Amino acid sequence: THIQYERVGADVTMKCGSMDWDAAVTWTVNGTDIDESHLNGSYLILKNVDLMQNGHYSCYEGSSWHLKYQTYLRVGTPPKEPVLMCRSNNYPKGFYCSWHLPTPTYIPNSFNISVIHGTKEMVCEKDAVPKNRCHIRYLQLFSTVKYKVTLTVTNALGKNFTTLTFDEFAIVKPDPPESVVAKPVPNNPRRLEVSWQNPSSWPDPESFPLKFFLRYRPLILDQWQHVELSDGTSHTITDAYAGKEYIIQVAAKDNDIGTWSDWSVAVHATPWTEEPKHLTTEAQITETTSASTSSFMAPPTTKICDKGAIVGSGAVAVCWTAGLVMAAYSVLFI
Amino acid sequence: GDSWGIFTFLCAALCNLPALPALNCSEELGAGQSIQQTYDLTRYLEHQLRSLAGTYLNYLGPPFNEPDFNPPRLARTERVPSATVDLDLWRGLTDNARLAANYRAYSRLLCYLRVLDGQVGTAELRHRLAHFCASLQGLVLSIGGVMSSLGYPLPAGPPAPPGAPLASNDFLKKMDDFWLLKELQTWLWRSAKDFNRLKKKVPPAVVTLRLEAREF
Repeated sequence: THIQYERVGADVTMKCGSMDWDAAVTWTVNGTDIDESHLNGSYLILKNVDLMQNGHYSCYEGSSWHLKYQTYLRVGTPPKEPVLMCRSNNYPKGFYCSWHLPTPTYIPNSFNISVIHGTKEMVCEKDAVPKNRCHIRYLQLFSTVKYKVTLTVTNALGKNFTTLTFDEFAIVKPDPPESVVAKPVPNNPRRLEVSWQNPSSWPDPESFPLKFFLRYRPLILDQWQHVELSDGTSHTITDAYAGKEYIIQVAAKDNDIGTWSDWSVAVHATPWTEEPKHLTTEAQITETTSASTSSFMAPPTTKICDKGAIVGSGAVAVCWTAGLVMAAYSVLFI
Repeated sequence: GDSWGIFTFLCAALCNLPALPALNCSEELGAGQSIQQTYDLTRYLEHQLRSLAGTYLNYLGPPFNEPDFNPPRLARTERVPSATVDLDLWRGLTDNARLAANYRAYSRLLCYLRVLDGQVGTAELRHRLAHFCASLQGLVLSIGGVMSSLGYPLPAGPPAPPGAPLASNDFLKKMDDFWLLKELQTWLWRSAKDFNRLKKKVPPAVVTLRLEAREF
């Protein structure tokens, strides 16, 4: 079936196929008759069209009701200059480019991307998901020649394009660190132990190490504190305000080139605080009785689990104090 | 009883490990420190070059100082050693080859830079170039030091520096200068990665631990 694309705001004249101008015809849109006031002879006139005029238009000969012409009208706009972004989050493997249109065109668009490196044209392999994305593998490393990426958008009403030119090093930006965990440190009311992992998309942290930027603040304050770490994937905060809940984030960057990643998922943690007194006395009584008997008695469960420890990527409370206590008991019985 | 005693003794010994003297590892430690120093030097030079290149390109004038300037590479400029390398080849380089490539590259780049220094107009630019050349000389010596401490022979000296410039006209000469700075910049980026790899591969300091045997 025939599709007719027209610009928003245009005046559209539809002819009833090969019928003469003075023939008697009836026009319908989506099955509904169109009033004669919109006709000029056998031509259908639509003025200043917008999306509301989208539909299936048919033209029938007056008396015989033969279908003489039909079309689908799609109102849209030619593409505006597309937005293109290229980034290497997996250096030195390669880079990807992704794009989108700043405003919708309301009609189908096709995208063509070309990557030129010096005199060579490289193929950017389109990703299945997400759709507007393609990736390229580096054939050479440490190139002095820039990459030139041109994206052309075409639809039935026009075309547009944009170009990006960059050095291999300029587009390196890792993904944020993963599995950020913040835990209180027992018997240390001003400390928080933070650990994280390299982003899984970074292929070779051995040869291309990452450095990290940590920021933290108590929820009640607006100002962040920052720490830059040149190696290691953990850090102990030693100046936390006692008893206050903290929000913590980490970002990553290649040690030498490129830009910082976005901030990681935020993690919350509160430093260790001393337990109220009556629970401690209960535990001490249990300890002295189990030393003289042969049966093993677990300390009260209310003291074991570390409520302050929260894993950022899942809601699992870590009960590692229990393990330590049980290990201590088993050593006593060797 | 006795087994508990051994356990406590071992714990105590292991806890005091950092305090034990390192035996027979001064060479490996030396190379490790030199690699770190060479790495730091490349980062310092890269930082210096950023401001120097900006000034020099402004001296050359447009289009060389335009950020989007992306000229095609003319065959004649290949005499300047290129840092560009096939990814798998780069990964597979032996320590010796990796160091030698750096040594050769900076030796030659230094020669060309010195020629540049002799031709430049302003006194300020001459002074900055001279300072940069001195730092670059330090880098070459540092790389040489690492190679020697690891027992590798130094590559043969660079070819005699070019006399009169080979460029036939003023514009082509400026192009040569542009590419020289580009290659230097790229080499400094590459060296940071080269020395990162070397840092991991140089054997760690070997420490011998002597435990006294107890009679049981």
